[in-house]
Amino acid sequence: MYAHDTLLRETLITAHAQSWQAIAAPGAFLTGAQRVEVVRTTRDALFCELCHKRKQALSPNAVAGEHDYLGPLEPEMVELIHRLRTDPGRLTKAWFDHLVQAMGKETYVEIVSIVCSVVIIDTLHNSLGYGVPELPTPKRGQPSGEVNPDAVDDGAWVPIAAGTTQMADTGLPVVPNIARALGLVPSAFSLFFSTFRPHYALKDINLSISQSQAEYVAARVSAMNECFY
Amino acid sequence: MLLRASSAQEGHNADLQSVTDTSLSPGVPQGDCLAELTETTINGDWLHMAQIRGRAEATMGPQQVVDALTVAAAFNGITRVADATGIPLDDNTAAVTQDMRLQTGIENFAYASKSARYDKLN
Repeated sequence: MYAHDTLLRETLITAHAQSWQAIAAPGAFLTGAQRVEVVRTTRDALFCELCHKRKQALSPNAVAGEHDYLGPLEPEMVELIHRLRTDPGRLTKAWFDHLVQAMGKETYVEIVSIVCSVVIIDTLHNSLGYGVPELPTPKRGQPSGEVNPDAVDDGAWVPIAAGTTQMADTGLPVVPNIARALGLVPSAFSLFFSTFRPHYALKDINLSISQSQAEYVAARVSAMNECFY
Repeated sequence: MLLRASSAQEGHNADLQSVTDTSLSPGVPQGDCLAELTETTINGDWLHMAQIRGRAEATMGPQQVVDALTVAAAFNGITRVADATGIPLDDNTAAVTQDMRLQTGIENFAYASKSARYDKLN
């Protein structure tokens, strides 16, 4: 992974390699094979005809049909993966409620963490002109079933990690809500934020661009993805 | 909020409106290059990426280009975490950015607004 690039930080290269291996291992609710299938499906979503039609429509709910998918994942899982990959800005609470009825919030959170980690890794590869990395080889074993018993309902669609009222000098809480978002499933939280953390910091960013340049890029991406947070 | 604060701290005057209105200059150093790199990346326009990267490298240098793309990739992922979990704004952020959200159109991205807008077309 990133074998030829000397301009990426070593911490990032190492973190992504570890994430790739973590994806291939059993998670909390999915096997290693299922998790690798989530990676494959995340990539294939970009070529799905239904997703393409929905993206063009005034509302994604106005277009019915089936996703281009031939594989072992349940239809609701495929819907989650494809929509999250191709049209994240128009996800709704009713859509979420429908999906979690079928798979449960815990599996939902696990899939979200994998898709979003893959998006980071593949986006960086593609933007630097590399092909995306090969799928990892699934590791054997059973899912752990581990959830965070201390997760709380704090206004998100899913229970999130408990927060703190302590404020940082950025004007944000020491642990902002986004850093609590996947806290229902510890391994999902760990996968995503291990992937994300070497890319960015809220202050004193350790990159050659300034904090304001990084914040501009971050804000522009958020706007393009129609992200409220 | 962080864009405004960090920009002021560095002695610049970032135009928050430029985040949603691409006809405006961002007001941060090399803002136009950053915008082009970011938009090409998030649109997945890989055919033109080498050309855009090359142009940006001539202005910013290769390390800054790689680091800008590093941030873009990260936020392409974390925005999806926010969108998929319906995570609410932090209380202080919600309070101090209310005017800015209305001014820039970001308020339209609120999860309750999206649900009302798209679910009724179901």
